[in-house]
Amino acid sequence: MKLQVKFSLYNAVTKIAIIVILGTIILFSLDRIAYNQLDNRLIKKKGKIIKNLNDAEIDSLLSNEQTFTDYNILKEEFIILTDIPDNEVDSDAKIITEKREIEGDIEFYRILNYKFLYHTNWYKLELGESMTALQSIKNSIRFYMLVVLFVSLLVTLLTDFAFTNFLLKPFYLIIDKKINKVDDPTHFNYQNIRTNTDDFKILDNSINSLMRKINTLFALEKQFIANVSHELLTPISILSTRFENMLNTPNIPVEHENKIFASLKTLNRLKVIINSLLLISKVENNQYLKTEQINIKEELNDIYDDLEDRILDKNLTYKTDLKNDFNFIGNKALLHTLLINILNNAIKYNNAGGEIIVKGEIKDHHYNLTIKDSGKGMSDELLNNAFDRFKRGNTEENGFGLGLAIVQSIAKFHKIKVEIDSEENRGTCISLIFPGTN
Amino acid sequence: MNVLIVEDEKSLALEMDEFLSNEGFIIEHAWKKASAEEKIFVNSYDFVLLDLGLPDGDGFEVLKQLKSFKDRDDAVIILTARSAVDDRIKGLDEGADDYLPKPFSLNELLARMHAIIRRKHKLEKNEVNIHGFLLNIQNRTVSFADERLNLTKKEFEIFNYLVLNKNRVVSRMSLTEHVWGDILEVNSDSNFVDVHVKNLRKKLAAVNPTDWFETVRSIGYRINC
Repeated sequence: MKLQVKFSLYNAVTKIAIIVILGTIILFSLDRIAYNQLDNRLIKKKGKIIKNLNDAEIDSLLSNEQTFTDYNILKEEFIILTDIPDNEVDSDAKIITEKREIEGDIEFYRILNYKFLYHTNWYKLELGESMTALQSIKNSIRFYMLVVLFVSLLVTLLTDFAFTNFLLKPFYLIIDKKINKVDDPTHFNYQNIRTNTDDFKILDNSINSLMRKINTLFALEKQFIANVSHELLTPISILSTRFENMLNTPNIPVEHENKIFASLKTLNRLKVIINSLLLISKVENNQYLKTEQINIKEELNDIYDDLEDRILDKNLTYKTDLKNDFNFIGNKALLHTLLINILNNAIKYNNAGGEIIVKGEIKDHHYNLTIKDSGKGMSDELLNNAFDRFKRGNTEENGFGLGLAIVQSIAKFHKIKVEIDSEENRGTCISLIFPGTN
Repeated sequence: MNVLIVEDEKSLALEMDEFLSNEGFIIEHAWKKASAEEKIFVNSYDFVLLDLGLPDGDGFEVLKQLKSFKDRDDAVIILTARSAVDDRIKGLDEGADDYLPKPFSLNELLARMHAIIRRKHKLEKNEVNIHGFLLNIQNRTVSFADERLNLTKKEFEIFNYLVLNKNRVVSRMSLTEHVWGDILEVNSDSNFVDVHVKNLRKKLAAVNPTDWFETVRSIGYRINC
């Protein structure tokens, strides 16, 4: 998840939480305040009535009980005085909320209940005040509060988003330009991304300095590879020419001749190993161009010409089945090396009279090239280390165990995926999954 | 024919000297870029064997200078341990005639030199006679008593290489490298060269005895004449 989205989500969650808490507190206290006020009014009114009480008033109230004439039109409040039997204990005023039916309308009222003694006679006074108005006020307050809170939530979220966007823009630029889009450190753009946030400046500068370091290391490695080539291959050169000259000396004893030849073979082995390792490190060091148009079919035909003798020598059946014509942009010499190594393995580890099937087709928007042999195959253990340098299968043919390491580095360089499927004594199938279809 | 070996590695230069002198070339040496430039300025050579990594500069500069002289057709073969593909392309672009990565086989060097000689001088006689077998290098055919032998491409290559290196042991290794190229990881010591040589010999022996075509024990082959 992106940092900006996380920020926004966090903001939203905290704001919603604040609104929920604040809303419940406000609504709850609103209720309390309203009841309190209503109750105070009722108590005040009761005090007033009790204070002004006289016989006429009582009579009028008692007679009103039957008719309710004293109610105001909106039926917002009422006063009922009833004559009750004696022997009542003087009590405090009780306030309750109750449904009352007044002239056919049922409504909620806040009712003050008070029993009192007046001139030896017990009366019950009920003062009622309608709660409808209060309820509607409460509702509208609740509604407006929600609207205001919701709008402010939305506005702050939007501004938060916009601000974090503005704030994080240099950060994303750094990520994008300096990390994501870099695959070749030699063409790195060191220009700083404009920002006034110190942390991003530090990040940008550290990436730049890291890249500078990597670049120097790359250059050093390149230099090292060149030096190694020269320093190792020159002595081999000297030795091999010297041995060749010795072989050409007339009348040298046979055993010496054989030993000289064996030395030449050893030197050749050394040469192949050094060249293979140099090739791998050069490929991994991006020292090759990938600009040539390569036709896989033509390339396979070329390779077949090179390997024909070995195929015939082992009496192998070689079948190709290329369904789609496939062109690929890359390095021709390297791709040739890659394919020849795979095919050479398919020959080398095959049984006499076996077969090699080369298949090319487009699968899931990728061109797949599979090379399948009916040879010795690999054990699971060997399969796991197949790409490691100097690992090789058991065979009378002596390779150097660098073939698949070369295959892998070249494939990686061209962004080709290599999959190996192998079963002992059944054969090996190597799939090359190319990045595109044409 | 005179050859200038521009090579700072003395032992290597002297081995090349020994080998090429035996072939009848006249050898001169330049150990440094400066002396190489001086020598090519004074003399013209049939061959300049040029190492790229010289102690006082790049061999490419020698090549550039040589190519700046008019009316000179010294053939240049670049010999280098810098096996970068770029170098090969650059060298050939700048006018080098061939490029041989170190370490190379002396037989291979000789074969390349002969190829250049043929190309440069457009030898009228493109045919070599080996015990009655006529090897036509231009048409890549072999005939005996006006009858053409039916050799495959590889068989001709092998024959040609052995003839170029006649009276000398050519190892299977160097033969493989010459005919099949410098294929990495392809084991150069397997017997499939032998199969080709066996077939070649059979075809030659069918028309005339080939006792001059010698198998040198476990090493390789030699054509004597």
